[in-house]
Amino acid sequence: MAPHMSENFLRDLVLEEALPQDEEKKPDTTPKKTVQMPVGVPGYTLQDEAREVPESEPPVWPTNKDLKFVGQSVERWDGAAKVSGRAKYTADVQLPGMLYAKFVNASVPHARVVSVDTSDAERYPGVKGVHVIQHVFGGAVLRDPSLEQVKYPVVRFAGQPIAAVAATTPYAAEEAAALVKVKYETLPFVVEMDRAREENAPLVFPGAADQAGTAGGGGGPRNVSQTGNVHGPSIKKQGDIAQALKEADVVVEGHYITQVQTHSALETHGVVADWKPEMLTVWASTQGTASVREELAAFFNIPASQVRVITEFMGGGFGAKFGAGNHGVVAAALSKKTGAPVRLMLDREEEHLSVGNRPSSDQLLRIGAKKDGEITGIHLVSYGSAGCGTGAGCAGPATNLYKYAALHTEENDVFINAGPGAAMRAPGHPPGAFALEQTIDELAVKLNMDPIDLRDKTDPHPVRRVERQVVRESDLWKSRNPKAGADTGPVKRGVGLSQSVWYRFVSMNSSAEVRVHRDGSLEVLSAVQDIGSGIKTVLAQILAEQFGVPPAQVAVKIGDTNYPVGPNSGGSVTTLSLTPAVRDAAWQASQKFLADIAHAYGASADDLVLVDGEVRSKSGKIKPVSFRRAAAKMTTDQITVQAKRIPDYDKSKYLTYGGVDVAEVEVDTELGRVQVKRVLSVHDCGRPMNPSLVISQINGGVIQAISYALYENRLLDPNYGLMVNPNLETYKIAGSREVPEIDVRLVEAYLGQSSTDASGIGEAAGVISVGAAVGNAVYNALGVRIRRLPMTPAVVLAALRRPQPEMELA
Amino acid sequence: MNAFVLADCTTVDGALSQLKDGAVVKAGGVDLLDRMKNGTAQPEKLVNIRNIPALRGIEETDKGLKIGALATLTEISEHPAIRKQYQILSDACGSAATPHIRNMATVGGNLLQPVQCWYYRSADFQCLRKGKDLCFAFNGLNQYHAIMDYRTCPAVAPSSAAVALFGLDANVELVSSKRGQRVVSIKDFYVHPDANPTKFAVIEPDELLTAVVIPKPAAGTRSAYQKYGEKDSFDWAIADAGVVLEMDGNICRKAIVTMGAASPVVRRSAQAERELTGKPITEATARAAGKAAMEGATPLSMNAYKVDLFPVAIYRTVRLAAGQMDRDPRAAG
Amino acid sequence: MSAHEDSHSNPGSQQKEELLKHEPGGDPPRNGITRRGFLKGAGITAAGTALLEGVHGFNTAAQSTDPGVKVLGPGAVPVTLSVNGKDHAIQIEPRTTLAEALRIQIGLTGTKVICDRGSCSGCTVWLDKMPVNSCTMLAIDALGRHVTTIEGLSEAGQLHPVQAAFVKHDALQCGFCTPGMVMSCAALLESNSHPTEQDVRHAISGNLCRCGTYARIFAATLDAAGTSRKA
Repeated sequence: MAPHMSENFLRDLVLEEALPQDEEKKPDTTPKKTVQMPVGVPGYTLQDEAREVPESEPPVWPTNKDLKFVGQSVERWDGAAKVSGRAKYTADVQLPGMLYAKFVNASVPHARVVSVDTSDAERYPGVKGVHVIQHVFGGAVLRDPSLEQVKYPVVRFAGQPIAAVAATTPYAAEEAAALVKVKYETLPFVVEMDRAREENAPLVFPGAADQAGTAGGGGGPRNVSQTGNVHGPSIKKQGDIAQALKEADVVVEGHYITQVQTHSALETHGVVADWKPEMLTVWASTQGTASVREELAAFFNIPASQVRVITEFMGGGFGAKFGAGNHGVVAAALSKKTGAPVRLMLDREEEHLSVGNRPSSDQLLRIGAKKDGEITGIHLVSYGSAGCGTGAGCAGPATNLYKYAALHTEENDVFINAGPGAAMRAPGHPPGAFALEQTIDELAVKLNMDPIDLRDKTDPHPVRRVERQVVRESDLWKSRNPKAGADTGPVKRGVGLSQSVWYRFVSMNSSAEVRVHRDGSLEVLSAVQDIGSGIKTVLAQILAEQFGVPPAQVAVKIGDTNYPVGPNSGGSVTTLSLTPAVRDAAWQASQKFLADIAHAYGASADDLVLVDGEVRSKSGKIKPVSFRRAAAKMTTDQITVQAKRIPDYDKSKYLTYGGVDVAEVEVDTELGRVQVKRVLSVHDCGRPMNPSLVISQINGGVIQAISYALYENRLLDPNYGLMVNPNLETYKIAGSREVPEIDVRLVEAYLGQSSTDASGIGEAAGVISVGAAVGNAVYNALGVRIRRLPMTPAVVLAALRRPQPEMELA
Repeated sequence: MNAFVLADCTTVDGALSQLKDGAVVKAGGVDLLDRMKNGTAQPEKLVNIRNIPALRGIEETDKGLKIGALATLTEISEHPAIRKQYQILSDACGSAATPHIRNMATVGGNLLQPVQCWYYRSADFQCLRKGKDLCFAFNGLNQYHAIMDYRTCPAVAPSSAAVALFGLDANVELVSSKRGQRVVSIKDFYVHPDANPTKFAVIEPDELLTAVVIPKPAAGTRSAYQKYGEKDSFDWAIADAGVVLEMDGNICRKAIVTMGAASPVVRRSAQAERELTGKPITEATARAAGKAAMEGATPLSMNAYKVDLFPVAIYRTVRLAAGQMDRDPRAAG
Repeated sequence: MSAHEDSHSNPGSQQKEELLKHEPGGDPPRNGITRRGFLKGAGITAAGTALLEGVHGFNTAAQSTDPGVKVLGPGAVPVTLSVNGKDHAIQIEPRTTLAEALRIQIGLTGTKVICDRGSCSGCTVWLDKMPVNSCTMLAIDALGRHVTTIEGLSEAGQLHPVQAAFVKHDALQCGFCTPGMVMSCAALLESNSHPTEQDVRHAISGNLCRCGTYARIFAATLDAAGTSRKA
């Protein structure tokens, strides 16, 4: 089944340029060749399939076992820089004469700003400039702006930036910011979603409002109705849901509630902006150098060519770091005003409040099935709040994981006076999977079927079928007691599984340059940024594979818009989008290189090949010579090739991928504490370019999902609308003692889609499914299903005291 | 953080001479810096006692133990004699905060930290304990607040060390330049918010806490402390228990049971102690003690679950103290 | 729960109503929420003066006559910090944290400030060989101690065994928590050369990693110690 790509959040997640629709419309006149490519899972379904590809494409790579550097667990290219403290992040940039900027933030959750008096702040010693914000980025905006005639942006959440001060020291900036006097006309506010849905609730917006999607995600559907604070529903229908549920032998239903999670990247959002008449240079902690450049150029109405964005290292984003943001625009404006570079890094509280979060959800999910497990219909009605933004839809898993005769989903965004949501690792999917995969588990109980058998019946994805087989054969799964709540002691053990789905998005904005120098050194350049997933390493591996030199010897220069444009890193696009361009550039550079040196060896270019770091002659006319020595014969100092991403070879196939996760928990029923002991994560990502880096991402996804399922919770005081835990102390994130033993099994799944055949992993990496797997494991341990996150002692003990009816089904 | 004058002192007398006009004592500075960064404390002058050698050290005497105010939580938790004879204190200091904070935080600072209520800790909320007349927790978010002994403020006692020191009948030595030294029992050291919401302890602004003195435990004494959070790594207690048992063979001659996260000031539970005194420590008596400790509990809107947790914490810690159970892997620290 | 309603005299609703009033006004009522960051005049003036004029040395006007007391600030004072075996003469206000002095004054930015409250240990440095949170201590309190930062852990360009093991095991992703993690794990090995995985978990129980690299941090640290994973 093809995925339904009309998901609201997905539409915004896919970059406009990522969809090669225009190219599809043009008649394709590129000369083509037919190649045989490995497709499928080695050991299970691997076979050769034919693909028509442009003639200029490099030779088809074999599977990983026959490659030397690609597909191997090569050490992280910049690992030494990171472990030694040499890596310079945006937060570490210090320029001569640099000023420190500090935001002045709204202290109330909803108000019109009557006046902003900056006079005391401007006079404060050390202050060089004050900027009052005229346009706030991030949240939804009114469809009809005339509904609000205001001088300053209306405050829609406590923590919304209002102004900023730049001064010679951080102290002076902080002190002066406190002297900016903001006069508010306070408005009624609401921070609880249930209350916001009521008819007489205070209105966050005086009319319909939509959130513009940023380059990497966020935002929700635009063309939907809005009633009060409820923006929606966005309805999708397939088949007749009423009929489908009527025809079902069993119907299971659950009400699921999930909390707001904040991204909590360790490096906060921020920039250092240096405005010069000829060039605005911005160091940014971003997932998209391109997106920052684009927004700054647009906002200041300057050519993109005069904006340079640099992100050499960045300390985590998880979906929230796209575009210039308020900090980027304000820092640039302050730099322009003061003539000095300006550093504006958010503090931890601002990071929680104002730059994104994973929206909450309240889902009513109903699934009907035949006795044999065939799903007749899935009916989902969801409400969720992305604060003063939209994007809380969570129907992705319900829509895209299983076969069904009918589907009906209604997604609603509910505005509250809280910071706007932003794409967060697999937006919509962790809450969606939490409901869907527990409901499927419940269906298995009701049908008296094994949870894997049920999924084999109704999930047609060929790779997940293999992954379930791996799970079925695992010791962990075999140790599961099919009878829920069987343990007799106070500490009960349980095992549960869940599946995930994500989508093959391609950013066509992916290009790179490869340089071969006469001294035999190699460079690869792209504006792409490494957000921690390790793309630098992968690029080095590709050149290493082509030229036969160790990856550590390849100079990787990325994270700078001076280089060829790279993809914004969101939605798991980076590796699968960029690596084919890099391989193509490397291949073409090698061909140019051989052509260039052939004359020096009295050979024809056709006769030469570059294998294992040696130039060899197919005819045997010349002796093999090392690449480095051959490079000395180049007729030019440097051979340079740029290449860009070409569309996937066969866009009709393999649009989704994912994985299967199993969690083992121990529930201390006296304390209400859930401890995840072990996780088995079986995942595919096309050709794993570097298994070690992929495993690192999955380890992280698993831990983030556990943290979401058990601990994290943004807490807003209902009476005052302020977040009470804007820190890393009472906003609780899993630490070292919460980490289970994680066993990652990578399933190589060749798709025959590009010259590298890589896919992404960041979203599917356990993030989506482990929360649901924990839920199912808790059910297996207790015989009681917990439908609310986070599963704190309060929640678990309440569920144990008041078991819900479905436990009788066990 | 506001600018301030720092009086860096190397003697107790020197420090006492500086304690006037709103000057605030800084030892490890962990909690003070936290409050200053949050904007809830803005002292113009800090008196740095961190470099006073006389306030350091842990001394064993015939009568017991004298712990200098500057002894760090790590030094206390790892001290061989404390680990052996005063396990409850070693446990409590070893389960506070994080390893690195325990390296920096002093016992004096730990005992004197104001409550950890998120309303109190935020500069946005001017609450009862900051001299205003509102408590935000009663109608607000109170899942981590008190379940007993509160009328005006339900923030819970923050110091793990205090929970242990109540169990050990410790005394606190205070000194001022005007009034000289006084010794206050830990039982009388804290001021209940109902009596005075802005005064957290009896220590006066011109006084310095110089040492904690602990009497030698009677023969046959065994003790333990365990703290439970929502997670194991760095969390505040949602339930905790300090237990001191004076054993005479199989029979518990005297029991002390203390709790920190249940009430605004560390609570000794006479009810729990009654269930153990004169009886053998068994599954049944330990359970009974836990249950009895919750008599009179009146949870707030969001924290009824804590009434279920304390009996478990007490039960498991009684058994741990008695040597009948291992340290709980779920306990913090 | 009504038990407390009787006994506690100040329901928040009254104040809430005040907040909900629509009149334009200044800061919200003083009695409840106030705008944060109110600063006292004295502090501002003194600090500001120091900033503008770069006042050096001790504030002699406030100098105590007591031999056991040295009064510093609020303006900048000259101090010498020993960092990574080298003395750094810098000017700092008493309020300067060790992390600020290292990062801003000395330019050693390997030490990261993440939560700025001692909750994440991203700013871990060694005082002598003891790991501490440099965001939560004053730089002045590091005088007379040997401060070691992540930059000082490697010797003569050679990675410390823990650093090398982190790279080998890919015990990092974005790398922002890494300096603090490395310092914490290396400190553990200083005091316990043969730790178990549980020891590592406890030693870094105050260190947060958002990318989720913990499992490999355990493995790397045990590898560096030469102990097996489950020792």
